[in-house]
Amino acid sequence: MTVLQTLVDAVALGLLYALVAMGIGLVFGVMRLVNFAHGELLTAGAYALLLTNDMPLAVGLAACFGAVVALALAMEVVYRPLRTTTPTTMLVTTFAVSFLLQAVALLAFGARGRNVGVLSELNRAVSIGDLRVRWVTLVSIGVGALLLTATALVLARTDVGLQMRAAAMDATTAQLLGVRASTVIRFAFLLAAVVAAAATVLLTVQRPLVTPSYGFQLVIPALVGVVVGGLDRLVSATLGGFAIGFATAVLGDVLPADGRVFLDTALFLLVILVLLVRPGGLFGRTRAAWERV
Amino acid sequence: MRGTTRWSLLLALVLAFGLAAAACGGDDDEGDGGEAAETGGGGEATDEPIVIGAAVDLTGQMAPFDGPAVTAAQIQVDKLNEEGGVAGRELQLRVIDHQLDPERTKSAAIELIDDGADVLLVTCDVDFATPAVQEAITRGVLAVAPCIGTDQMGPERFGDQGKLAFSIGNVAQDEGAAMAEYAIDQGWMRAATATDNVIVYFQDVVKAFAARYTELGGEVVVEESWTQGDGTIQNVVSALDNANVDVIATSTAFDDMPAMVGGLRSLGNDTPIICGWSCDGNYWLPEGTDNFYLVTYASVFGDDPSDEVKELITAMEEQDQAPGTGGFVTGAAAIDAIAAAVEETGGTEGEALADAFEGFEGLETISGEISFSEEFHSVFGREYRVMEVQNSQPSFVELRAASSPAEIE
Repeated sequence: MTVLQTLVDAVALGLLYALVAMGIGLVFGVMRLVNFAHGELLTAGAYALLLTNDMPLAVGLAACFGAVVALALAMEVVYRPLRTTTPTTMLVTTFAVSFLLQAVALLAFGARGRNVGVLSELNRAVSIGDLRVRWVTLVSIGVGALLLTATALVLARTDVGLQMRAAAMDATTAQLLGVRASTVIRFAFLLAAVVAAAATVLLTVQRPLVTPSYGFQLVIPALVGVVVGGLDRLVSATLGGFAIGFATAVLGDVLPADGRVFLDTALFLLVILVLLVRPGGLFGRTRAAWERV
Repeated sequence: MRGTTRWSLLLALVLAFGLAAAACGGDDDEGDGGEAAETGGGGEATDEPIVIGAAVDLTGQMAPFDGPAVTAAQIQVDKLNEEGGVAGRELQLRVIDHQLDPERTKSAAIELIDDGADVLLVTCDVDFATPAVQEAITRGVLAVAPCIGTDQMGPERFGDQGKLAFSIGNVAQDEGAAMAEYAIDQGWMRAATATDNVIVYFQDVVKAFAARYTELGGEVVVEESWTQGDGTIQNVVSALDNANVDVIATSTAFDDMPAMVGGLRSLGNDTPIICGWSCDGNYWLPEGTDNFYLVTYASVFGDDPSDEVKELITAMEEQDQAPGTGGFVTGAAAIDAIAAAVEETGGTEGEALADAFEGFEGLETISGEISFSEEFHSVFGREYRVMEVQNSQPSFVELRAASSPAEIE
């Protein structure tokens, strides 16, 4: 396999992790909450696509976005009483919510996966010499860039964006100045949900078999990416997600076939090295005061 | 006082002797046909039912495997009882759903054995089954998994006590060998292998394929591997797409299976893919899947060559338990094998049943002829259903038994 083909596959995986990391980073920025149940947003969206498999694409997409947004807003309501508790309590609660939702999916849909057939034609490839670039990779680049730009614009150019940035820097002072914490946090969940729904559509194209742990499998590496990139800023968290996906795919190609069982070992060795050298994250800033979202 | 004590002692000794003699006489009477407490009493005659306990998962991720196997087992139990039972005794199946919780798995096994289970059925994954298996074999009870597909269900994993552990699933060495022999017969002489490292069964099937394939003159020109869920399946797809081979051999399941097959076909790559039982069922097949082959226990698509298997499927459908893969038949075959062992030994003593299992060579069951040995406590020699998938529709092609299990490291 050519180096270029490896890089293309690495970009595709990196973009997927980046979109998940972006959603996690958005919520962490304003609420200081690492939402382990973020993966269940993806699972909910995937099951919505599954249930609307035989309906027109627009209906499926609407169901997907609707399910993810509804679940995200419900999560915000569940997490609301936790705002004043310790980070440990919040973390454990998100784990509990994640496992609860996986159990609900297991009871509702069973353990055996079911196939989503939405937009499967995006798996087809464009050939450039020996290089095969799948349409889904190209679409992911476009969607990723669009969502990151749109999020940046919302944060920079709108009132609610300004309030989010203020709350992310200093929630107490922001509240004293009239920023409504509930509104800001709800909006962060909403944005995270939109990004998660977009990621779900792209994910189901590449991994069509939906199971109760569908999204959870993606959250762990994406979260590692958020930490590696730098928890403190949305951009660094997103880039961290991309870096983890990219490194995973490259290692998967570089390691010999009988050594790929050690892929996670090699990956986490890299993560440890990065955090030893740059404890604030690969793309994090060293300045004490700056904006988190 | 001293004289009185001496007489009292003598009287006590006489009484004790008399009681002991009476007790021995009582034993003799029961052995002549009284009600013996039947707890694995080898060849003792009894009218008590043979209790088969099942500590299985009917809720969690093993439910798609355990559920159909237990349903099929119950149907086979009912059928044998209608025919007069086994060795004149009724069969009973008692089921506890442990939901894959290790503590609950162990407590389910304890409860079933304490309640008189003579044989224990366990879940179809050796790691999840281990707490129940250990409980059974340490208490001298035969443990049988319907569909574990490695050589781990036996002494290989459980040491000397593993003599009492068996699986009615095909051992991977046999399954991979059957895949390779079919591939060679099709004239596919250059192969790529794609090994999913997530479980030993997947790895062993591909190893067995490669071993038998090269023995028969085939050449494995590309060896790819990944671990389920590690995110690199598209790398594997790209590498396989570039391999100029006649066949791709794999054994995998879950999310990465449709990602690999669908990914290859979306790239316009129509190389035949051959897989083991793990790829059975149509629930995962991406739209337009062609040139896909697999070996499995039974066809659930209405074209199985065995009328008995078809009747079993119909009976399951009537219970709203239509099987998703051919693995269901191993539940009924487990009952057949247990019944044969009880008939042979005349009882339910674990060690004796294990000896009988190890001696089975071509034992006729609903799933076809099955064999075990001291080395393999999982099945070899069974006739596989070779299935072909065209346009995402699986259909039966032929029956094929491996000439022998392949030797792997």
